[in-house]
Amino acid sequence: MKKKESHLRSILIRVVYVLCLMAIWEYVARSGMLGPRSALIFPSLEQIAAAFVKNFVRGYAGTSLWIYIINSMKLLLTGLAIGIILAFIFSGISMVSYTFRKIFDFTVSICDLLPGIALLPVVIIIFGVRREVIVFLVVHAVLWPMSRNMLDGFSSTPRIYVEAGRNMGLRGMRLILGVYIPAAASYIVSGLKSGWARAWRGLISAEMIFGIASSPGIGLFINQMRTNMNNAEMYATLLVIIIIGVIVQYGILRPIEICTVRKWGMSK
Amino acid sequence: MSDTPLLKIEHLTKSYRDSSSGIEVLRDLELSVEANEFLCILGPSGCGKSTLLRCIAGFEEYEGSVKVNGREEREPGTDRFMVFQDFNQLFPWKTVLKNVTYPLSINRKGDKDEIRRLALEALEKVGLGNFANQYPHQLSGGMKQRVAIAKALALGSPIILMDEPFAALDAMTRSGLQKEVLRISESEKSTIIFITHNIQEAVILGTRILVLGQHGQILFDRKNEMERPVTPASPGYGELWEQLHQALYEGRLSSEL
Repeated sequence: MKKKESHLRSILIRVVYVLCLMAIWEYVARSGMLGPRSALIFPSLEQIAAAFVKNFVRGYAGTSLWIYIINSMKLLLTGLAIGIILAFIFSGISMVSYTFRKIFDFTVSICDLLPGIALLPVVIIIFGVRREVIVFLVVHAVLWPMSRNMLDGFSSTPRIYVEAGRNMGLRGMRLILGVYIPAAASYIVSGLKSGWARAWRGLISAEMIFGIASSPGIGLFINQMRTNMNNAEMYATLLVIIIIGVIVQYGILRPIEICTVRKWGMSK
Repeated sequence: MSDTPLLKIEHLTKSYRDSSSGIEVLRDLELSVEANEFLCILGPSGCGKSTLLRCIAGFEEYEGSVKVNGREEREPGTDRFMVFQDFNQLFPWKTVLKNVTYPLSINRKGDKDEIRRLALEALEKVGLGNFANQYPHQLSGGMKQRVAIAKALALGSPIILMDEPFAALDAMTRSGLQKEVLRISESEKSTIIFITHNIQEAVILGTRILVLGQHGQILFDRKNEMERPVTPASPGYGELWEQLHQALYEGRLSSEL
């Protein structure tokens, strides 16, 4: 019962906090205390709410925000899928080949430190201004942290699991699939979390820097709102970005964690 | 059955080459184990008893040979199934039942239903039939060890290797598990090689008792023909205990020299 009580309390604290922020916002917006630019910087909550609806209903240039979101998500999911699969493959090969492991480990260390957006000019030269550029950046964002976590997870697999696996006749690839990967579950989950976070940031940044007409995304949308001084719409889009982040965090990543490492008593 | 013993170890020498002194843990060890024997191996710490078991299980590289039914084995295999001392030998990501069925399905011990039946039967034997759907982290240490034994039973391994499986348990749980292993060893047709540093455990469980000294030198090797169940009140208990104690003491002396 106590647990439930403290849970309710923590929700209450957050709700009150958000209400206070909104009240302050609304006060600043209505008082015009920031001078003539007040309405631009702080559009009223009512305007933002209206813009929120408008974004989806009317959108920009006749295209609803839904389309932009779907475009972004397509690129994001493609990139995430490729990045995660590559991380599994490369980290798996690393467990079989010592030379490959050393090379891959070194590559991960370097690339992990390289912000994807810094690669943008190079990637544009290679691919041109196409959607593949964004997919590439998402792959870059997820592959390295995911691989780093998997390599760490594999190398810290308790010897007893490996021996128990060999004891029952597991060897090579089957030992990796049957023991190393599940034993590294908590590392893989944290790799997913940081990979997702980087990919999401990378995606929005790349879309803001160059929007692709053939596949306009959320980043492009928010940037267009800025150029047109549609500030209420801009804030409304920010809200959408936050909501998507929350959905992924609590609707996808958290359940994955609960169904795996928590259930198995393996949380770090 | 021919005259070939179930397990035959010849000229087994194991040294850790990576250590600068090149310590020989086992030197030229010879040992034969017959089917259905319950062999308890006693020895002071560092005498190489665990290393011997790991060599038999195929986890170590060594010189010499380990033959099961006359066939040389160098890699781990389910014909010599190891029950470790470490409670964490179960996979935390699998339920108790899946932990038992997994080795069976890897080794294709039947179709899905057959495997499930074998696993549940083995869990019943160790008294954990009601825990099939729990995860290992929900079990106590003693229960985890029982699941590990159930794995070996379900696999039907002809040789079960136990490396001080109960050493980290409290006395009550330990004695309960000893009784269970004894019961299992009498009803199942498996050969058990059981490492312990507890004389009482060896006397209660073993049908044959071995004491190892330095470099795996065999100091004592005798059948235990006391009527079961053996208790401290059994005739001959004190005598055997004394002999083993003496042999162990010699072993410790020789390893300190």
